[in-house]
Amino acid sequence: MPPSAPTQAESLRPRGKGRPRTVETAAPSLVELLNLVRSETATTRQELERHSDLGRAVVADRLTMLGELGLVDESELGTATGGRAPRLVRFAARRAAILVATLDQTAIGVGVADLSGNLLTEHHEAADLTAPPAQLTERLAALFRWSLDRHAAAQGVWGLSLSVPGAVQSGADGAFLMTTPPIMPAWDGFPLVETLTRTFGVPVWIRSSVETMTMGELHAGAGLGQRTMLFIKVGRRIGAGIVCDGQLFRGAQGAAGLIGSLPVTSGGQTGSLDSLAGSDMIQREGMAAATDGRSAVLADILRRGGEITAIEVSQAAQVGDAAAIGILATSGHLIGQVVATLANALNPDLIVLSGSLVQTNDILLAAVREAVYGASHPLVTRDLRIIRSQMGSSAGLVGAARVASEALFAPGFLKEWVMQGSPLGHATFADYLGRLADASTPVPAAMPPPTRRQGMEPLA
Amino acid sequence: MTISGLGPHGERASPPERVTLLPDDRAAAKTAGWRVAVVLHTLESDWAKQQLAGMVGIFGDCGAAVIDVVDCGFSPDRQVAELDRLIALHPDAIISLPVANEQVAAAHARVSAAGIKLVLLDNAPTGLLPGKHYTALVSADNFGLGKIAAAGLAPHLPQDAEVGVLGYAADFFATNEREIAFIKWLQANRSDVRVHVARFGRIDEAAKLGERMALEHPKLAGLFIVWDTPALAVSARLAEMGRVLPLATVDLGEAAAIDLAKGGAVCSIAAQQPYQQGIAAAQTVILSLLTRPVPAWIALPGINVTRANVVESFQTVWRQPAPKEVLRALGLSS
Repeated sequence: MPPSAPTQAESLRPRGKGRPRTVETAAPSLVELLNLVRSETATTRQELERHSDLGRAVVADRLTMLGELGLVDESELGTATGGRAPRLVRFAARRAAILVATLDQTAIGVGVADLSGNLLTEHHEAADLTAPPAQLTERLAALFRWSLDRHAAAQGVWGLSLSVPGAVQSGADGAFLMTTPPIMPAWDGFPLVETLTRTFGVPVWIRSSVETMTMGELHAGAGLGQRTMLFIKVGRRIGAGIVCDGQLFRGAQGAAGLIGSLPVTSGGQTGSLDSLAGSDMIQREGMAAATDGRSAVLADILRRGGEITAIEVSQAAQVGDAAAIGILATSGHLIGQVVATLANALNPDLIVLSGSLVQTNDILLAAVREAVYGASHPLVTRDLRIIRSQMGSSAGLVGAARVASEALFAPGFLKEWVMQGSPLGHATFADYLGRLADASTPVPAAMPPPTRRQGMEPLA
Repeated sequence: MTISGLGPHGERASPPERVTLLPDDRAAAKTAGWRVAVVLHTLESDWAKQQLAGMVGIFGDCGAAVIDVVDCGFSPDRQVAELDRLIALHPDAIISLPVANEQVAAAHARVSAAGIKLVLLDNAPTGLLPGKHYTALVSADNFGLGKIAAAGLAPHLPQDAEVGVLGYAADFFATNEREIAFIKWLQANRSDVRVHVARFGRIDEAAKLGERMALEHPKLAGLFIVWDTPALAVSARLAEMGRVLPLATVDLGEAAAIDLAKGGAVCSIAAQQPYQQGIAAAQTVILSLLTRPVPAWIALPGINVTRANVVESFQTVWRQPAPKEVLRALGLSS
């Protein structure tokens, strides 16, 4: 037990000999009961007894401990079904907060969530991801401080979860990150995890935007209650989030669902799905249609001094511009072909398309549907729903919060901190934080780009 | 004018032109004879009156009856009760300005669940999603308003100055954006300036808060207050204390315009366009009732108002002549 553990835990020390005290063997049952309450599988003592196979006295004892640790709340009464109304056992989701952020190519979003992953507040602003990492990290920290000042000053923070544009390698780190995984080439060498852990004193998690958005859709959007779901994000890059048995499937390296690099053929040209169906293609083709006279709507935007991005092409398609419809239909068909392959492999209940391109017109969704239905086994499409997300960028923040919440309460990790009443008292984390704080050399504001050392030049 | 902020869920702004009504739309709406209700935070302010004027005119043109206009008096409890009362009347659409975040979220979700189109003004409670819990949000570019105010105050601040920011304690999209943007602009463009932040829960607390901030920070060289009514209350209290601090704020109320024209404490105003916003909100309602797709976030740019352009800005914003006192202060009328 770390020296910084709460004094409440002092009485929980093992005795020298004899039968172990209840508290020493309590952790597994505490973990089981807490997760039953947290997932709302059980909401009364009777239900907890039934779902856990623990006796009445043990359930009562463990709930008292969880109540003292501030993790459950039994102050509310349920509905009586004959006799006395039962006390409801609720997870104390406001016991602490989770800080969440999404880093995008053109925007950052920050939010504060409760321990169940519900967003309490969010803010999005334009940002340039090509700016120096230290500068962006400082802006993130400033926005986190602002949000904390407004929303979570009293209860404190237990975790910080980030969503980044590219795939995040799942490495050898344990329950939380202790080193910064490779995320984006421009950020190589920048100690993002170390900086944030030290600044806020909490464990940090990082996932790709497709993964966090999938988690958001699964837990707070159209995917609620679904066991098998495909989430397709369409932007400059196209990626898939895969949900099997109600869990996000990350693959061996955290690279599952990188469908954007698959080769496809369109108009006699072969290239990656990203290059032939992503927003760069839509913008480029839209620009061409505006200048060569095929699209009156897009030409009009140019005449008024407007800019043509994929969104303008998408909006033009929505108002019936034939050239824009053609561009989006091509993109939708190509995406649909790849998604059909995945759908036939996974047999999902639901396919959710997301991204601002999908939000602003119906053509892309229709084209994807057509391609998937045309290329799938009838049993795969019998009850399949293909819809668009209604969560916008919030999916990423909500999902990032769920990543942290799932990690904090994963049985293996929870077992090791539940007796302390806070994950910040977890021995490995406390040790890691101590080492970061003791590090004699401060974490550099920005690591210099990797350069060859003198004397090691090839052919020197 | 560009929109510099992002929507409550990171949406890109759509200009109000996106919800323009065509003659066919008006004709179709007239045959439908819809019933609409409006729920505002207050009906007292100029902003609310102009917003309402913009909406009611469009609804009139489209043959839609405004069956109720509710003044919530800034009270979340009252707003919840009023929304539940209106749901029972089952209008075709409700335009509402959510006065708080969490406290009023469920009541707003009940509106859409009852099959009533819901268009929000200025604030989207966290957790409510466009297309699912509400049709669209119509607001000013509040991030842009914060930046305009900071840029307007900056020339009045000496090197290494201290600035006070008086924000709104309620968790409210519009005022949060203004506060964040104001501070961000200073950090990026005037990193020498030190910022102190305090927040008032009610308008009548603002003056006291301003007084306390001025006493705690004697070197204070300027103030940003997130809208005009509390700003003028603070300015009056500081004047009683014998302190005049340059002050930037949002919304071109009549008193603020007069102070700006007279060269008083108010040196910069970032103005919203409430009349135009009301028009955009009503048009969004009509289009959504006609089942036409509408953008998730429609944003109107702010106007940078200085002493030099206060007259024309007043006319643009309020669609009426500037007050005599403004014209006299600028030598445009006797």
